[in-house]
Amino acid sequence: MSFTRRAVKVPPNSASLEEARHRVIDFFKTACRSIPSIIDIYNLDEVATVAELRSSVAAQIRKNSHITNIKVIDMLLLKGVEEFNNIVEHAKQRHHIIGQYVVGQKGLVLDSGTKDQGDSNFLKNFYNSNYF
Amino acid sequence: MALRAAILRHVRVPVKTLTLTGRKSQPWGPNGASLRFLSSHGDDHLSKDEVIERVLSVIKSFPKVDPSQVTPDVHFQKDLGLDSLDNVEIVMALEEEFKLEIPDKEADKIDSSNLAIEYIYNHPMAG
Repeated sequence: MSFTRRAVKVPPNSASLEEARHRVIDFFKTACRSIPSIIDIYNLDEVATVAELRSSVAAQIRKNSHITNIKVIDMLLLKGVEEFNNIVEHAKQRHHIIGQYVVGQKGLVLDSGTKDQGDSNFLKNFYNSNYF
Repeated sequence: MALRAAILRHVRVPVKTLTLTGRKSQPWGPNGASLRFLSSHGDDHLSKDEVIERVLSVIKSFPKVDPSQVTPDVHFQKDLGLDSLDNVEIVMALEEEFKLEIPDKEADKIDSSNLAIEYIYNHPMAG
């Protein structure tokens, strides 16, 4: 029920880039302030600290910092709010949070690292020449 | 009638003493020292040195900051090369450290460690 009611309520578009910026920062603050309760809900205190999760949220926002189209920013913000509400309402499970926000970036780097065989030129040449 | 007059002549109402004792028993009066026990803050107000030390340690522990560059009057964006989101992140870290909730208007103004120290030192709830 609360899901439907929330889904209907879409805020109007931001009038200016400055307003959109403000909304994003407000959202970041709300998210930061509920990190302790999120850690509590999902028992994250053994895998992450408040500061780590805060940087993780900031990194997600910074990933889209090059976007200047107001409508796109509003859309991304809406998605962020939705994700945040799902997390706070315990609609997710512990491994979702850990996979996305605790391991997050590091896991992705490891994946792509094994695929393109790291940075070692020696190994790359070796695989090119000796890998039949 | 004579009896009444005699009694009235002997009975003295100690007006002054009553008001004095009355005031003493009021803990909320201007002189009531016990008011301080009831408040959750005020007695244990942070000293300036402690505020400076804790604010700087919060900034130093921020992953993007070079700890050797942090001084009590460093500007977050000009001197440390941070962006506005990092600025908000530091303010949130300070909120967590001092158990405050800094309203948006004030939070927007805090862009250097000097201002942060000043704001937190003057905040009655900082703990």
